[in-house]
Amino acid sequence: MDRVAGEAGDFTVTLLRKPRYVLEEKCTGCTTCVEYCPALCPDAFNQGLSQSKAIHIHYAQAIPLIAYIDDSCLYLKERKCRICEAVCKNRAIDFRQKPETLAVNVGAVILAPGFEPYDPRESGRYGYGRLANVVTSMDFERLMCATGPTEGEIRRPSDGRPPRRIAWVQCVGSRRVTPGENRYCSAVCCTYTQKQVILTKDHDPEAACTIFHNDVRSFGKDFERFCERAARLPDVRFIRSYVSIVGETAGSNVVVRYATASEGVREEEFDLVVLSVGMKPPAEAARLAERFGIALDPSGFCRVDPAHPLQTSRPGVFVSGAFAGPMDIPESVFAASGAGARCGELLSRRRGRLARERVFPPEKDVAAEEPRVGVFVCHCGANIGRVVDVPATVEYARGLPHVVYAQEQLFSCATNCAKEITAIAREKGLNRLVVAACSPRTLEPLFRDTLREAGLNPYFFEMANIREHCSWVHSLEKDAATRKARDIVRMSVARASRLEPLKEFTLPVHKAALVLGGGVAGMTCALSIAAQGHLVHLVERGEDLGGLARRLHTSLDGMDIPARVRDLAERVYANPRIRVYTRARVVSAEGYIGNFLTRIASDRGESEIRHGATVIATGADLYRPAEYRYGQDGRVLTLLELEEAIARGEERVLGAGRTVMIQCVGCRNAERTYCSRICCSAAVKNARRLKELNPAMDVCILYRDMMTYGFREEAYREAAERGVRFIRFEPERPPRVEAVAEGGASVLRVVVDDPVLGRTLAMDAGVLALAAAVVPAADAPEIAGLFKVALGPDGFFKEAHVKLRPVEFATDGVFLCGQAHYPKHLPETIKQAYGAAGRVAALLANDTVVASGAVCEVLERRCIGCGSCIAACTYGAIRISETKAGPKAAVNPVLCKGDGLCNAKCPTGAIVLKHFTDEELASQIDAAADAAASETLNRKAG
Amino acid sequence: MNQENGSALTETVRLLCRTPGGPRFGDVLVVGGGISGIQASLDLASAGFKVYLIDRGPAIGGRMAQLDKTFPTNDCSM
Amino acid sequence: MENLADYQEIVDLIRANGGEAFKRCFQCGLCDAVCPWNRFRAFSMRRIVREAAFGLTDIESEDLWRCTTCGRCPAQCPRDVRQIDSGTALRRIATEYGVFPPTARPVRGVRGSLMAEGNPLNEPRRKRADWAEGLGVPAFAEGMEFLYFPGCYLCYDPRLKKVARATAAVLQAAGVAFGILGERENCCGESIRKAGDEEAFKRLARENIKAFIDHGVRKILVSSPHCYHTFKNEYPEFKAAFEVVHIAQLLPGLLAAGRLAFGDGRARTVAFHDPCYLGRHNGIFAEPRAVLSRLPGIRTVEMAETQADSLCCGGGGGRIWMETPRGERFADLRLTQAIEAGAEVLVTACPYCIANFEDSRLTLGLAEKIEIRDLTELVQEAL
Ligand SMILES: Cc1cc2nc3c(=O)[nH]c(=O)nc-3n(C[C@H](O)[C@H](O)[C@H](O)COP(=O)(O)OP(=O)(O)OC[C@H]3O[C@@H](n4cnc5c(N)ncnc54)[C@H](O)[C@@H]3O)c2cc1C
Ligand code: SF4
Ligand code: SF4
Ligand code: SF4
Ligand code: SF4
Repeated sequence: MDRVAGEAGDFTVTLLRKPRYVLEEKCTGCTTCVEYCPALCPDAFNQGLSQSKAIHIHYAQAIPLIAYIDDSCLYLKERKCRICEAVCKNRAIDFRQKPETLAVNVGAVILAPGFEPYDPRESGRYGYGRLANVVTSMDFERLMCATGPTEGEIRRPSDGRPPRRIAWVQCVGSRRVTPGENRYCSAVCCTYTQKQVILTKDHDPEAACTIFHNDVRSFGKDFERFCERAARLPDVRFIRSYVSIVGETAGSNVVVRYATASEGVREEEFDLVVLSVGMKPPAEAARLAERFGIALDPSGFCRVDPAHPLQTSRPGVFVSGAFAGPMDIPESVFAASGAGARCGELLSRRRGRLARERVFPPEKDVAAEEPRVGVFVCHCGANIGRVVDVPATVEYARGLPHVVYAQEQLFSCATNCAKEITAIAREKGLNRLVVAACSPRTLEPLFRDTLREAGLNPYFFEMANIREHCSWVHSLEKDAATRKARDIVRMSVARASRLEPLKEFTLPVHKAALVLGGGVAGMTCALSIAAQGHLVHLVERGEDLGGLARRLHTSLDGMDIPARVRDLAERVYANPRIRVYTRARVVSAEGYIGNFLTRIASDRGESEIRHGATVIATGADLYRPAEYRYGQDGRVLTLLELEEAIARGEERVLGAGRTVMIQCVGCRNAERTYCSRICCSAAVKNARRLKELNPAMDVCILYRDMMTYGFREEAYREAAERGVRFIRFEPERPPRVEAVAEGGASVLRVVVDDPVLGRTLAMDAGVLALAAAVVPAADAPEIAGLFKVALGPDGFFKEAHVKLRPVEFATDGVFLCGQAHYPKHLPETIKQAYGAAGRVAALLANDTVVASGAVCEVLERRCIGCGSCIAACTYGAIRISETKAGPKAAVNPVLCKGDGLCNAKCPTGAIVLKHFTDEELASQIDAAADAAASETLNRKAG
Repeated sequence: MNQENGSALTETVRLLCRTPGGPRFGDVLVVGGGISGIQASLDLASAGFKVYLIDRGPAIGGRMAQLDKTFPTNDCSM
Repeated sequence: MENLADYQEIVDLIRANGGEAFKRCFQCGLCDAVCPWNRFRAFSMRRIVREAAFGLTDIESEDLWRCTTCGRCPAQCPRDVRQIDSGTALRRIATEYGVFPPTARPVRGVRGSLMAEGNPLNEPRRKRADWAEGLGVPAFAEGMEFLYFPGCYLCYDPRLKKVARATAAVLQAAGVAFGILGERENCCGESIRKAGDEEAFKRLARENIKAFIDHGVRKILVSSPHCYHTFKNEYPEFKAAFEVVHIAQLLPGLLAAGRLAFGDGRARTVAFHDPCYLGRHNGIFAEPRAVLSRLPGIRTVEMAETQADSLCCGGGGGRIWMETPRGERFADLRLTQAIEAGAEVLVTACPYCIANFEDSRLTLGLAEKIEIRDLTELVQEAL
C-alpha cells in the first residue's frame, strides 16, 4: 500500500506489489526448487521453530499454493546461486520481476490488518528466548499442528522429547502496567489456552496440564462449558496465581514459582512452559493510520466510536477484525460482514454493475444413453499429488466400467481447468463426470456449473474426496493412500453411472426483510438493510422501540446510550423504507428463503407480510433473583435497577454509606452454564458512577472472576484506583445476606469469605445490587418454533456455525443478531447487527435463489399416511394432505434440506431422497465391497 | 462436518483468487487477508461488489492459518 | 468475622501515611512468587497488601518489618502497588505508635544514634573522617570535581573502612580532584526512612543538604547504592538536586581514558552481585561489569540470579540493623550461588552486601572457599 487519495465513494489507492520471482501461471507447487535451494532461514510461519528456504511455499494449504522467494535468497542478496531457476522444470522462476505499482479506484476501504502476537522479549521477564523450553502459545499452536515443525507431535524444543508436565502462564503481555507490557486484557488467551489443554490431552492423555491465571475469562458463547470441559480432564489444574519463571534445571526443565493462598509459595518443575501471549496492534498500524489518515487509540489499535464500531475516523474507511482491539474469530467474522454492510450502504447504487451474469446452453437429454463417465483427478497443487500417485490413479480409472475418459489436472477448480472439463465433456460426449479432488461441500456448486456449460444436467456429477479423506490424513503412507484413492474413485464411478437428472427450482426473492425485535440490534439492522436499498418490516412487541437499552444510562466506553437510542428510533421512524409495527405479535410464520409469509397482529391491526429474509433480534430477558433477599428487602436491587435509581438521582442510593454488589447471580451455575458477559462491566460502570457522585461512599464488588475483557480491563483498574473494593469469593462459598436488628434499626449485612485473607468479612450495605443473569427470552422457544430455527443448550438462539456463519441460522434466509444470540455489549451488538444486515443484503441483492434438486419425494402408492416422517423432519418440510387415496405425506421441496432423516423412519420405504436413492448408494457400497475386483484391477494398473 | 465448513472458506477464497482480474476498477479495497478480511471480501462479492483483497504476506489466511484448531468448537482453522 | 465498618479508620490512616497504592492490588500473587523471603520461610506481601486494603493490618506483627525493599515485587507488580512505599506507610504507623516487635527493636536505638551522632552505629561524630587518616584526603572545597560521600558504614565499620581507603587510593591514582566533608557529613537517611521513621530521615536529609549547599557541592560521588538512591531520587523532594555518581559509574570512564595503570594481576574467577539499589532500583548493571572486564587476570562468571533478577543480600529496608536467624539469611544462599557458579571472589558495590556476605562467609565457614570484595578494592588490587 502506498498512497490513498480521494474520499468516500471515490478513492484512488496506489498499491505496491512485491515480486515473488515465481510466475504464478507456471508454478505447480511441486517444491523441487525448495529441495535444492541452499539458503536456509527460520520459517516464520512456524514461529521460527523450524527451518525453511529462501524459496518456499508459505504453508501446506496456502492460497495461492505457489512458491515465492524471500529476502534471504542468495541471488537477490549477492547475485549468485540461481539454482532454483535451473531445477524448475516448469520455467516458473523469473528473477527479472520488479516491484509493481498499480493504482486502483474503489468506493470504500475495509481495514483488516489484524493483530500481532505479543513478543515476551519486550519485557524480558519470562525467560523467552533464553530458556529453551519456554515457548509462546503461538509457537505451541505450531508444535501441535500436523503441518508444524514437529508434524503434529508435541515435542519440546530442547531435546525433542514429548513434554509430560506443561504449564501455561496467562496474561503474558496483558493486564499489566509494567513497562513493555499492555494494560488491556487480550480477551482470547484464556479460552485458547483451554483449547490447547484439550488438544494436548488428545495428543497425550498422560500429560499433566497446569494453567496459572488470575481470573478465567470465559465470557463468550459456550466458553464456560468449554472451560469446564478442560477443567474436568484428569491432571488438569487451574491455579490462581501469576508466576515467576525462575530458571532451568540441568535437564532443561523450567522452574516456576507461584503463590497459593492456602499453601504459600511453591516451586515446581515443568517440562515445557507456554506463555499465553496477548494481542498487540499490527506492526504496521502506525503506517497504515498515516496512509489512510485514520486515528489510532492510545494502545495503538484503530480508534472506533463505540456507537459506530466499524467505522474509522475517516468516512468511507471501515475496520473489521482484531485491528479494532482484541477479539476472537466469531467476532472478527461478524464484524467483517458488518463492515461489508457499511460499504454496501455507501455503495448501494453501484451494486452489481461490475459483476457479470452467466448464461448456460440448453440442457441435453441423455437419460436414455449408456453412461459415459469422465474422470478428472486433481493434484490440488501438491496437496494431493505429493501423497497420492495421481497418474496411476488416472490409469486405474480408465479401466473402470463405463469410464470412457480420464485425465489428471493441477487444480481442477481453477478457471482454465474447469473450462477444460467442459470442452472435453462436449468433445468426448461424456454424460457423467467424476472429479477426484476435495470435499463436495465447497466445490460441488462450481463443478455443477461446469456440467451446465457442457449442456448436461448438473446432477450427473460426483466428487471423490481424495484430499480430506485421503491425502491429508494419510500423508505418511503414500502407497496405502494411493490404494485408498483408487477405492474412492471406483465407488464414485459406480455411483455416477446410476445418477439421475434432477430439476432445480429457481425461486424469486421477495426483496424485503422482516426484522423481529426493535432494540438496538433490530433498529441498527433495519436501518442498514434499508440503506442498502431494501424494504424492512420492523416488528416490535413493546409500545416503543429501544428495547433493553432504554433502561441504560451510562456506559464504560463513554457512549451516550439514551441519545444513541433516541437517534436510532428517530431515524427508523423517519426512514421511508422501514415500516414499524409496535405492540406486535407474530401470529404465524411460513415459507422459505426468498419467500416468507408472516402474519402479525399489531397497532396496525392484522398484517400479512411477504419477505425474502428474516432477522431474529428479539434480545433476552433478565433473571429475577430468588436469592440474597431480593424481593424481600427494598434495599436489594438488580444492577439494572441500581442504574435506573442512580439516573433518577434517588437519595437512598446516592446517599448510601456503602453499596455492595454481588456478581454472577443466576448464572455460571449448574442450571445456567454460561457467563452473562456484561454484568462485570456493568458493576464496574455503576461503581465508578457512584464514586463520582459520592466519593465518600464505600463500594464493594463481590465477584468470582472479573470478566472485564479487552479494553474494559482498564476500567476495572481505574475503579480500584478510585477506591472500589473487589472481593473474590469461591462458588462453593457464596456470600450470605441477612437483615439483622442493630440499635433498633434493620441492618442489611453481607458476609463473605476472602480467600486471600482467610478471613470472613462483613459489610453493612445501604444498597445491595445483584448482577442478575441475562437469560434467554421467555418466548424464545415459541419464536424458534415459528421460524423453524434452533436454540442452543443455554436456550439462546443457535447460529449455523460459530465461526463461519455466526449471524445466520441453519434455516436458510433466517438471520440473528444481538442478545438473542448471546449476552453482549452494545458495540458488539451493533457490529453483529450490521453483520446480519450485510448477509441479508447479500441475499436480497439476488433476484432469485436456487433450491436444490436433491430433495425428498413421496411415492404416494406406498405411503400409508402414518406421519412418522413428519416427526423426523427438522425443517417442517412434510405435511399430510388429503388425496383421493386417503391421507398421504407430501414434501415441500423448497423447505427440504435433503438430510434424509425421514427416509430412515418411513416404515414402507415410501419416501426417497433424490440423488441419494437406495440404488445409487447400493452401487457405491457394492463397489467398495468389491475388494477382489479392485485387487485385480490394481494389479493391472500397477 | 465442521472441518469441511472450514475448508469451505478456503475453497471459496481459492476461487476468488482465481477469477481473472478485470480492469483496475473495483468497489471495495480490503486491506488484510486474515479471517476478517476474507469474510468481508466474500460477503461483498456475493452482494455483487467487486473486491480487491490485498495482504502484505505471500498468502492469505492471517494468524488464524497459524492456529492448529480454534475454540470453542475445536475444528480445523483452515 | 470482621465488620469492615470497624476498620475504616485504619484504612484512612494507612492512606494518610502513603499507603494509597494498596487499593490497586488484584491479588495475582506475583509479589509472593518473586519475594526472596519465600525461599526461606513463608512471607506474604500479598497478604500484607490485602490486609492493609481493608484496614486489617496487625500493626505489631513481625511481618511488617520483613521486607528488605529489594524491589523485586514492585518491579513486577501488574497493578503498580508500590509495595515498598506502601509497606513503609505501615512501618510509619507502627513507629508513630511506638510498637516494635522484637526483631524491629534495634531500630529505636538506631534512631537515637542517628539523631545524636549522625550515624546508625553508635559511633562518635568526630571520628567520621578517621578512615582517611594518613591518606592525604583533603576536606572538600569549591572547585573540586567531587564531594566524596563514603557513608556511615565505610566511615566506621572496620571491614568497610578498607573500601573507603581503596576508593581514595583509586581516585588519587587517577588524578580525580575530590574532598570529603568529614564531621559535617550525616547518614544519608535512606534506610531509616524505609524503616518508617520519616522524621529522622527528614532531619538527616535537611542537614546534609545544608552542608552540601554551604560547601558549594555540585557533584557527589558515593560508594553506597543506598546513598545514591536517596540523593538521586529522594532528596529532590526537598528541591535539592545534585549530580550523583556511584563509584561503579565513574570507574569505566577512568579506565577507558587510561587514567589507571595496571600490573599483570592475579588470575581469579569472580562473580558480580548486583546490589538491589544499584541494579534493580537504578538500572546500573553494565558499568560494574565493564570495569571487571578491563581488570587484568579477572575472569567473570554470572550467578544463578543476576541483574534485574539479582537475589537480595537481605540488608535493605533497615534489615541491616535487625537480627535475621540462621537459615533465613539471603546472603547465605547468595554465597552458595557464587560458589556454584565457580567464583573465587564475590564482588559487589554496596556496604550492606559486603557486611552480610562477610558475615555469612564466617558463619558458614567458607573463608577458604570464597572472598568478598568491593569493586573498588579489586581495582585497587590491580594497580
Ligand atoms: C495463540 C493464539 C491462539 C488463538 N486461538 C483462537 C481460537 O482458538 N479461537 C478464536 O476464536 N480465536 C483465537 N485467537 C484469536 C484469533 O487469532 C483472532 O481473533 C483472529 O485471527 C483475528 O482475525 P483478523 O482477520 O482480524 O486478523 P489476522 O488474522 O491477524 O489477519 C490480518 C491480516 O492482515 C494482513 N495485513 C496486516 N497489515 C496489512 C497491510 N498493511 N496491508 C495488507 N495486509 C495487511 C496480515 O498479514 C494478516 O494476513 C487466537 C489468538 C492467538 C494469539
Ligand atoms: S485474563 Fe485476559 S489477558 Fe489474561 S489470559 Fe485471560 S484473556 Fe488473556
Ligand atoms: S458477573 Fe456476569 S460477567 Fe461477571 S462473571 Fe458473572 S456472569 Fe460473567
Ligand atoms: S503483585 Fe501486585 S497485584 Fe499482584 S498480589 Fe502482589 S501487590 Fe497485588
Ligand atoms: S521488595 Fe523484595 S523483600 Fe520486599 S516484599 Fe518485595 S520482593 Fe519481598
